[in-house]
Amino acid sequence: MGRSTVASSAERASLLHTLLGRRLTYRGRQQIWGFVFALPAVILFAVFAIYPILQTFYLSFFDYNMVNTPEFVGLANYQTILGGSVFRDSISFTFFYTIGTYVPTLIIALLLALVLNTKVRLRGFWRMMNFIPVVISWVVVSVVWKLIFHRNGLFNAGLDSMGIFTPDWLLSTAYAPYAIIIPSIWKEIGFYMVIFLAGLQNIPGVYYEASKIDGASIWQSFRFITLPLLRPTITLAIVVALINGLKIFIPPFVMTQGGPAGSTRVMSLIIYQTAFANGRLGRASAMAVILFLVILLFTVLQNRLYGTRRDDA
Amino acid sequence: MKKFLASQSPLQWALLVGIAIQTAIMMIPLVYMLSTSFKAQTEVFMLPIRWIPNELLFENYTIPLQEKPFLRWFFNSTFVATASTALVVVTSALAGYSFAKFKYPGRDVLFWIILATLMIPLEAMIVPLFILVRDLGWLNTYAGLIIPAGGSAFGIFLMRQHMLAMPDELIEAARIDGASELGIFWRIVLPMNQAAISALAIFSFMWNWNSFLYPLLVANRDEMRTLPIGLASFESAYSTNYPQLMAVSVLAILPVLLGFFVLQNKFIESMALTGVKG
Repeated sequence: MGRSTVASSAERASLLHTLLGRRLTYRGRQQIWGFVFALPAVILFAVFAIYPILQTFYLSFFDYNMVNTPEFVGLANYQTILGGSVFRDSISFTFFYTIGTYVPTLIIALLLALVLNTKVRLRGFWRMMNFIPVVISWVVVSVVWKLIFHRNGLFNAGLDSMGIFTPDWLLSTAYAPYAIIIPSIWKEIGFYMVIFLAGLQNIPGVYYEASKIDGASIWQSFRFITLPLLRPTITLAIVVALINGLKIFIPPFVMTQGGPAGSTRVMSLIIYQTAFANGRLGRASAMAVILFLVILLFTVLQNRLYGTRRDDA
Repeated sequence: MKKFLASQSPLQWALLVGIAIQTAIMMIPLVYMLSTSFKAQTEVFMLPIRWIPNELLFENYTIPLQEKPFLRWFFNSTFVATASTALVVVTSALAGYSFAKFKYPGRDVLFWIILATLMIPLEAMIVPLFILVRDLGWLNTYAGLIIPAGGSAFGIFLMRQHMLAMPDELIEAARIDGASELGIFWRIVLPMNQAAISALAIFSFMWNWNSFLYPLLVANRDEMRTLPIGLASFESAYSTNYPQLMAVSVLAILPVLLGFFVLQNKFIESMALTGVKG
């Protein structure tokens, strides 16, 4: 078709027809551009997230040590790990760690946020200081606290000066879990403080003014204004805390290697050790599937319980 | 007003004292780290604790730097975290723009699949990921450290949320003026979402700088380690030389702390804005 014919046919065509024709090709072009823009991310996710997670499920049914040809073993890996006590103990310790760390963390963080939400002096300074541990890497936190919990370290020096019994924290099955939990609380408070502060700042001040006029006490305005309006934020904080707690890895890896006698062996650590120290990749994958399912369960549960009520804060 | 102030004052003072004590307690581990880093080995466990060492041993800082490639680890961390962050920002901004402002078949499915990966911890897919990176020949390479960390579901979500708020008319007007699609992205979409992008960049840099399990597996040669991995390896080899261990810990947190003090408001805002972390 020559140029002249195009021009003449365009002249002849109705205005509506031209517009429709243009719009169709325009839409097609937009679809292609949209897809092209998404493509880099889609490729990265397909290769480095979707494929590995599917492969985790697949490998969990095989006996594989990185050198042999994978041998299909059905549910044997699951039977082994759930039948013995080692992995089950690891699941319960992971929950113990998560609750032991995040119940105190969230309570302290909320209290801090409430204080910093008042007109207390030097607010920005206190907020900044409490946030410092958040930006320090877990490895440094673990290395420093390993020294603090040394038999003759700072913690025991403090206990000793008060005349309290001084255990050998990192070498005792009874105390090692707390030597992992206390540094975690220290590191995490600042993060949740900021989340709570953001939530508190979204509560309109007029509510408090009104309650003051009505003669409400501080406790009453906390109980009937702050708490209900902060609920979406608290829910978010609990979910984030739960997920972070269940996948914790670095503190036990650096401080105790899961010991003594497996008393601090969290799920991520046992997956790592099973796969890369013992070379049992199939069995480690089965453990990974269970870790995934546990986290999925809690995320879905949370959505069921609170998802519909959440008015995005 | 006067009465109000008078009634509030004791409480305010109590709060101020309380938070000062609490903050001081939070700082103890850091002071202990700094103090120990200058001590002689024999002084570490002396009782009562000497917060100010008898003699400041600066050699605790210089000796480890000579014995182990800390500078190389520092470079690796900086390079890997910067490159991954750049990749995350670009892929997230592009995909977020696509999911927010374009319509094409499969768009929502793609978005939801990517979002669903937020629920999958790295720990749950580390075994196949390691095998994949090994099979690609990427163990102990920068490509292996950077590229798999180049996509962020959280980043895509954040970008999409912000870009949904951009008026369509603006983009349409640019199109009518004959701007190219890439030109619109570069000159209109990116500048309009600067706040979200800098939040994502800070967040992603910190996440990558502190990343541990993944680099632990894919970089096992000394010269390819990142700082956290190098520090952990130094810890397991020199675990009894506490002053040197604390000295390298101080060095390791110094850059991040400096960055934090300079950008502290941005840091805290981006944390609050994001509400989630890696």
